[in-house]
Amino acid sequence: MSLTAEVPVQSTDAPDLVVDGLTVRFGGLVAVDDVSLRARGGVITGLIGPNGAGKTTTFNSCTGLNTPSAGTVVLGDRTLDGHSPAWRARLGLGRTFQRMELFDTMTVRENVEIGREALLAGKRRWTGRLFSTPAEAAVCSTEAEEAMEQCGITDLANRTVGDLSTGQRRLVELARAMAGDFRFLLLDEPSSGLDVGETEQFAAILSGVVDREGIGILLVEHDMALVRAVCSYIYVLDFGKLIYEGSAADVLSSELVKAAYLGSEAAEVE
Amino acid sequence: MRAWLPFIIAGITNGSIYGMAAVGLVLTYKTSGIFNFAHGSQAALGAYLMFEFRERMGMPWPVAMLLALLLAGVVAGLLLERGAYGLASCSLAAKVTATVGLLVFIQGVLIAIFGAPSIPVRPFLSQKVFELGGTNVRVEQLIDVAVIFIAVAALYLFFTRAKLGLATQAVVDDPALLGLAGISPVAVRRFSWVVGSCFAALSGMLLAPALALDARLLTLLVFFAFGAAAVGAFSSLPLTYLGGIGLGLAASLTTKVIGEMKVTGPIQSLPANMPFIVLFVALLVLPTGKLVERGSQVVRRPLPPVILTRRGLAVTTAVGLTVALVVPHVVGARLPIYITGLAYVILFASLGLLVRTSGQVSLCHIAFAAVGASTAARAVSVGFPWPVAVLLGGLVAVPIGALLAIPAIRLSGVYLAIATFGFGLVIQRLFYSSMFMFGGRFEIRSPRPHLGGLHTHTDVGYYHVVLAVTVACLAVMVLIRRSRMGRLLRAFADSPTAVDANGTNTNELKVLVFSIAAFFAGIAGGLLGPITGTAAAASGIDVGGFDFSVSLLLITVLFVAGRQPIFSAVLGSVLLVILPSYATGATAVKWNPIIFGSLAIVAALFGGRSLVEWLASSRRLRERSVAHSPQAERTPVPRPADLALEGAR
Repeated sequence: MSLTAEVPVQSTDAPDLVVDGLTVRFGGLVAVDDVSLRARGGVITGLIGPNGAGKTTTFNSCTGLNTPSAGTVVLGDRTLDGHSPAWRARLGLGRTFQRMELFDTMTVRENVEIGREALLAGKRRWTGRLFSTPAEAAVCSTEAEEAMEQCGITDLANRTVGDLSTGQRRLVELARAMAGDFRFLLLDEPSSGLDVGETEQFAAILSGVVDREGIGILLVEHDMALVRAVCSYIYVLDFGKLIYEGSAADVLSSELVKAAYLGSEAAEVE
Repeated sequence: MRAWLPFIIAGITNGSIYGMAAVGLVLTYKTSGIFNFAHGSQAALGAYLMFEFRERMGMPWPVAMLLALLLAGVVAGLLLERGAYGLASCSLAAKVTATVGLLVFIQGVLIAIFGAPSIPVRPFLSQKVFELGGTNVRVEQLIDVAVIFIAVAALYLFFTRAKLGLATQAVVDDPALLGLAGISPVAVRRFSWVVGSCFAALSGMLLAPALALDARLLTLLVFFAFGAAAVGAFSSLPLTYLGGIGLGLAASLTTKVIGEMKVTGPIQSLPANMPFIVLFVALLVLPTGKLVERGSQVVRRPLPPVILTRRGLAVTTAVGLTVALVVPHVVGARLPIYITGLAYVILFASLGLLVRTSGQVSLCHIAFAAVGASTAARAVSVGFPWPVAVLLGGLVAVPIGALLAIPAIRLSGVYLAIATFGFGLVIQRLFYSSMFMFGGRFEIRSPRPHLGGLHTHTDVGYYHVVLAVTVACLAVMVLIRRSRMGRLLRAFADSPTAVDANGTNTNELKVLVFSIAAFFAGIAGGLLGPITGTAAAASGIDVGGFDFSVSLLLITVLFVAGRQPIFSAVLGSVLLVILPSYATGATAVKWNPIIFGSLAIVAALFGGRSLVEWLASSRRLRERSVAHSPQAERTPVPRPADLALEGAR
């Protein structure tokens, strides 16, 4: 039950995401305080904690949306510090957002295709930034079809995203991230706003992605049923500090974690 | 020292007035999240009303002033509060367009009633002179400074001490919570708008005796307030007030210095343009953390653009081209107006690429056209072939567009709109008269082309040249819209964060789209000059040459004309250039701003949908929403956007 608990390792070439000594300050407030964690490739790692614990702030540091005052973030063998969000995405780090960031005036298909197209455009130079080749267009199209298929939203392909329900929108955002050829995904409360049935569907999709693509996922989530179902290892944040880590069973039975967080949350879920 | 004193006193007096106007502007922005571009025209409104009551109706000045304050301050403030509330959940473009439309509208009404030439105003405060530290001071100056100081200080104390004052700090962040605390958010908003409007109106009245009544000048001078507001980071009232005084002093003192140096050239206009430069520089150097965007983050869900079917597109294109080819045979002597119209189609389309497709706001589009017009004219005069010269005009505008992308990268939302506004004014007032552009006479010869033995220099011939260039430009813009970049730009308009998170650097996208828009605007400018044979800085075309006010008209008309990329450009040009030429001469010019200003306000208040679009699609949308019945398939958890919609109903 200690902090040196054995991490389940699955053999894979997918890179690990390593956060080391991360500290983020907003003025006088220390939002994230010396947090270190390792999310392995090929498995789903959970990052849980009460609201305001610093989970999304940690995500934002990983993807370059804020500037940490200390600490490093490493994906595989590349350190990400100081690079732009787009650069990190091109290196293979994808994410979704707690408050979904979707292209509301565009169709589902266009949204998902841009998951790949933005990546291709970012990697090309000069005219490649402006125009796609037929081969690239084909890649975008097939990747998008596949991602929509896996997320079960193929029948929504021509709907405008702004018209969809929350659950459908979550799936569109996940599909966009899946179309993007990422090697590691950060998912920020993907199940919030989903009903029980949709959440079960979501768990199946996530496990499927990891099995098929062999990528790693770091999952911020409040729904303990989902966390229990998919996460092989869990980190617990409270007031910006890492208070516990261990396997799903360890964490969910820990008194410390219950006191900090699960007490109220578990009651809500059950 | 004695030589400096009169300038210091004049500087402090003017600076106080700018400071007061700026404090009013910041106050309303802080409490409503709406940056009121029409603040300056409210000042003009106050001054004109006071003039009307005093000179034409013969009231004593204190009564006239109070009545003017009641109308331009209290009544206007209450109306603005309603309007601002309606705009709170609209898109940024709608917010900006609504107040820009109001500016255009008020200015248009004032000019329609009182005429454009300036009217001298008798001073109303005592002109007696007394000596202070060895220099003469007018009682008027002393009263101005003292009254404004007391007003601003009282407001500041009120904010830091009184309950209602403290409440204004909270009203933007969470009006509902404020309501729960027993303070009506409506009362707070009303208070702010009334005080802000009174400050604006009063500043106009105090400036009028020194400046004379001139709707354009008064509107522009209170843009000085923008500079002062930037000094206070659009947030701090005391800093804003001090910023106003600082600007007044700086302008006054540089006037003296430059006057003594006897320099010529653009630097002469430096003092008068100090505020715009300060505004622009402040927006470039202020830490972005300081520039907090006020107002609700919950934006009403944008409506998808109405897309024509492939067949519809083919038919529209064919009809459009046929009409364009028939025009020279039927319009007779009006043909030059139609040539102008064609060039404006390019202008509108390029602005649409920026505003509609990629969601950026630009209030300086005509400045790019001015660069293109002057460059093309100068290139022809040094011997470049005409087509190359026009192309050069577009190319020279590109780095200037890219330059504007620098604030666009740092700033978002309304601050970008303000920066583009300042940028356009700086270009116009510092560089239009330079030898690189129109020169000291504000105009240069811009001949029509002689291409390969064709009669391209006649009206009919030149019309066809411009038509060909317009069709080519539109085709390229359609291609861009449908290309990878076009898709990314549309995505960028919806969520820049997501575009970045998926691997495309949005800063590069901004530079690209500003450069492309500037290029096409430059081409349009190059086509405009040869219509009259002279590229002139501020005359020539009915809509006002390359004056910055055209930029404002462009964006209001674009907003009215809809979202269909090419159709809206054509419609915008018809509305702004062609139709008015059929109304009798002077009336049309007079009514243009009034009509477009009010239409833009209405369009913005109607959820950011243009009237055209509303007419075209209301039936279809209604049918669709019945067919899908979104409520039935929605999960029980409402999205914030839905809540906002419900709140607005």
